[in-house]
Amino acid sequence: MTYCIIARCPRTGRLGLGVASYSFSIGMYCSDAMRANTGVSITLGAPNPGNNALAVRLLAQGFTSAQVLAQLIENDVNSDYRQIGVMDREGNVAGYTGTMTRPWCGQLAGKDYMALGDMLAGQGVLDALAEGYAADPAASLEDRLLVALEAGRDAGGQVGKGGRLPTRSAAIAVAGIFDYSDWDLRVDAHDEAVDELRRVHKEFKLYADYYVERARSPRNAKTQMEFADMVAGDQPKEMPKEMI
Amino acid sequence: MTYSIIARCPRTGRLGIGTTTFSLACGRRSESVRPNVGISKSQAMYLRAHDPRALNLLAQGFTPRSVMSVVEANDDDFMYRQTGIIDREGNVVAHTGAKCGQWAGHTVGPYYAAFGNGLAGPQTVAGIIEGFLADSDAPLEDRLMSALEGGRKAGGQATNGIHRPERSAWLRVVDRQDYPEIDLRVDLHADTLAEMRRLLEQFKLYRDYYRERCRNPHDALPEEDFVPQLVVG
Repeated sequence: MTYCIIARCPRTGRLGLGVASYSFSIGMYCSDAMRANTGVSITLGAPNPGNNALAVRLLAQGFTSAQVLAQLIENDVNSDYRQIGVMDREGNVAGYTGTMTRPWCGQLAGKDYMALGDMLAGQGVLDALAEGYAADPAASLEDRLLVALEAGRDAGGQVGKGGRLPTRSAAIAVAGIFDYSDWDLRVDAHDEAVDELRRVHKEFKLYADYYVERARSPRNAKTQMEFADMVAGDQPKEMPKEMI
Repeated sequence: MTYSIIARCPRTGRLGIGTTTFSLACGRRSESVRPNVGISKSQAMYLRAHDPRALNLLAQGFTPRSVMSVVEANDDDFMYRQTGIIDREGNVVAHTGAKCGQWAGHTVGPYYAAFGNGLAGPQTVAGIIEGFLADSDAPLEDRLMSALEGGRKAGGQATNGIHRPERSAWLRVVDRQDYPEIDLRVDLHADTLAEMRRLLEQFKLYRDYYRERCRNPHDALPEEDFVPQLVVG
């Protein structure tokens, strides 16, 4: 009951993931799922939350994506229930969908990305994730990941016995060159998590450069209230009244 | 403008952070908390590199006090930063730079630091502590949540006497595992602390289910069958 894409930006080498799920808070373990200049790995299905950090440490030691995947499977008596994606810093991917992962489930590997998911409407959801991701290669990785999630949602998203399952949580995270994330946004426990993630993403974009510049040069920085007033002035219709 | 509490539960050794702010998506800073090492939370006009650097030093065995002096020596703009650092034993230090604006300050107590800037006044920090100390037997995540609510009730953030909205919040508690026991975020909301309280209360209903499903997926109820059983008040 999750759809996900892990990817590497071939222009910049940045690594990222986008994920959306019926679960309460799919983003809870995503901040451990990647490291700059190392790789990204996520375990879904009936997830094993220790896998993500373990995979990243193995990648850091120099194991290939395929070797990391084999070790995660070997290390876990319940690996039949896991779905795993691994990608190294060069974009080499390895994926696995355990036999007990619930249908429709599978993974789709491409150059510099892998789409994966379980309890999907069908293969079309993975195809849509890949197409959404490929739509604008010149865009920033965080934008491409969000477009991919929206395409996966529009292609039918997740389905249970009683029909379509709502997407209740979603997250996007990107690692650049630092030992902290470049981009990390989340929505927990929401009726339309991907829509909400788009709203937060759009708003955060207005502030992202300001936050970086304020940290580097606090002596010359506007206060955030001044900056927020400026943003609100530019975008009167974008800001709900209570936010101004 | 931000107010935060970092703490170690003296009963369990768990480490946690609760923070809320006008800024968007304050929970994106997962680099500030490291299990079995400590927490370094910088705010005001913070540099994100501070926190992982401080935690690297804590992991090497330096005390929070030494770490803070290294961070200070490394930063020409230290007067613009506000930082709290706690180690795995609960040793705590805090710093509020002179240029962190009005009102800014911190209070360090046993196993915790409460600190903020752009606040209504010292009463906000006092409110955080009152909330945190209200029930010392409660789980750390509940104490952190009560602390944030206590800070809000005492006036929260304000400039020129006008309350400034909390637009994002973050609650993260780590134990011995690499991954968090709890990590809840509100990235942009009109009533952030009420939303965080809702997330926390709901997440409690799921926590044991998620833990058990990962350990023993063979016997786990499908999530779409588990969810309708919940009575969410």
